[in-house]
Amino acid sequence: MHNSFFSLTTRLLALCGLLLLIMALCGLLALAWGSSSGISLAKISETLQTLFCAKARDSVAAAIVWQVRLPRVVLAAVVGATLALGGLVFQALLRNPLAEPYILGVSGGSAIGAIIGILLGLSPFPGVTATAFVGSMTVLVLVLLLAAGVSARSAVSRDTLLLGGVMMNAFCGAVIMFLISVSQTAQVHHILFWLMGDFSVFSVEQLPVLLAVLPCFLIIFLMARPLNLLLLGRETAASLGTEVKRVSVLLLATTTLMVSIVVSQSGLVGFVGLVIPHIFRTLLGPDHRLLIPASILGGGSYMILCDLLARTLPAGGEMPVGIVTALVGAPLFIYLLWRSRR
Amino acid sequence: MRTQLLIIFSLFFVLSLLTTPWAGIARAGLVTDGAGRQVMVPADPRRVITFAPNLAEIVYLLGEEQRLAGTTTFSDYPPAARELPRVGSYVRPDLEKIVALRPDLCLASQDGNPRHVVDRLAAMGIAVYVVNPQSLSGIMTAVKQIGTLLHADKRAAELVAAMRQRIEAVARQVAARSDRPLVFFQIDEAPMISAGTNTFIHELITLAGGRNAAAGPVAYPRYDWEKILALDPEIVIISSMAGGRTKEELLAGWRRWPQLAAVRNNRLHVVDADLFDRATPRLVDGLEHLAGIIQSGQESAGAQ
Repeated sequence: MHNSFFSLTTRLLALCGLLLLIMALCGLLALAWGSSSGISLAKISETLQTLFCAKARDSVAAAIVWQVRLPRVVLAAVVGATLALGGLVFQALLRNPLAEPYILGVSGGSAIGAIIGILLGLSPFPGVTATAFVGSMTVLVLVLLLAAGVSARSAVSRDTLLLGGVMMNAFCGAVIMFLISVSQTAQVHHILFWLMGDFSVFSVEQLPVLLAVLPCFLIIFLMARPLNLLLLGRETAASLGTEVKRVSVLLLATTTLMVSIVVSQSGLVGFVGLVIPHIFRTLLGPDHRLLIPASILGGGSYMILCDLLARTLPAGGEMPVGIVTALVGAPLFIYLLWRSRR
Repeated sequence: MRTQLLIIFSLFFVLSLLTTPWAGIARAGLVTDGAGRQVMVPADPRRVITFAPNLAEIVYLLGEEQRLAGTTTFSDYPPAARELPRVGSYVRPDLEKIVALRPDLCLASQDGNPRHVVDRLAAMGIAVYVVNPQSLSGIMTAVKQIGTLLHADKRAAELVAAMRQRIEAVARQVAARSDRPLVFFQIDEAPMISAGTNTFIHELITLAGGRNAAAGPVAYPRYDWEKILALDPEIVIISSMAGGRTKEELLAGWRRWPQLAAVRNNRLHVVDADLFDRATPRLVDGLEHLAGIIQSGQESAGAQ
């Protein structure tokens, strides 16, 4: 794992270059393929022309690439990157391989907020997005207060956080089922699609809000070293000079904020935050200076491909992308688990 | 000087005649649709996509089906509509498929189609005309609106006149009788769902001479057997789509309760769901059928 032949910078640049190339290829494939037409080399070259030539060949094809598919590809990339990075940070922070970005109550809180928004008849943006965000932040604050109240020493005692988060999610699950039971049929449709992750609602005007997560990526990358040290345990990290409490709080705040922003726009997409960090940890080792950019770029590419499958696979109309990530992610995780035992 | 003024005024007069509504509806222009939106509609739409089964049905009834380029799933009446390209379902229209079909006009329904799809298409410069039929008269308005858009004004007027005639005939029949039996209309099973005041079903029951047992502010309220036993409706109408069961299963579900007047007097009727929940002129078929059931007195169960 510690390769003294190539410096860290070289390895980092090579990794980023490779993953960026993969992401670009995935993006191109996702822009050239959709529910209205199949894929072929001609389609790909046509898409490249539409993207890079000033006067597009065919205005309908250009509209499909730029206004229908491009926003989705961007959303998929950002959502995948955020969820994968969120999973990585929580797995390190909580030192638990099962940690994923929703574990502290983000899923339950945002779902309740979104359902309330849908039941009130609000528009998807900014209405439902706003209520989902408020819901998720509320539950997070409650979990933190609970953890702070229980543990005298530090609000970020991981066991209390984990347990509090899991219990809040369970309680929110019950509230969600109640809300669904009193909804009218048409609303139940919208609610279910939100709960399964739905990229079809996203439109270009939401982009500025979505891109607010990019500074969070940078903040977390700058904390890669402390993250590495946290893996050794609180006491060890502290003795090596890490300000454990400050770092933990900052990481927690940044990660939960970016996950909430993303979930409030895309709905609940699962298994990305759980599986992608494990894949890259198997390939690259535990150094977060490599894992963070890998999760961002790898998670983004994975999500773009999952969204492509969700759009093109079913003949009767696209399925929610959360179904694809679960159908692909769960077997993938089981496979990783099986391999790691050898 | 006066002659010149006279000529100018005559020209203005002639021009104003040319721009009055009856001469100009057929050309492209800014119109207000059924949802209050301003839409720039084409003069002669040749690639129309309908976002709901009832809208496709109305286009066929107007005889303008050659203008259709696509529709949503479940557009199955008339059977020819099944051959049209599909653009997703009416709760989830597929944006990409719609754009790929290059429509010049889309017909959407305010009740059911998601607003964000309509807004996205409008932002991309595609004309989307939203209709909002909430009652029989709303359907007549929608038929006329669509008829105007598709140059089928005459046929639309004929359809509306026929609808009015038949509704008035039923009203005369109903006025001649004095009893208004309590009717329970079952839409779904497990949970049992009926139709409240703001629904087509309520309007049809009332026009057909009945009283809707489920009248109230909730559009599709849930019922349990306790409430139904308390209500004790005289007539029970069961939608053929209730819970995907067969006719026998649906009737058997009710026959478990011989305490109910409707069961004792054998006034349980299964009806074709499409005649009661699609906002098209076929609702008048449903109305006539319902009127026949309500006014026939003792009739055997299972009338189709």
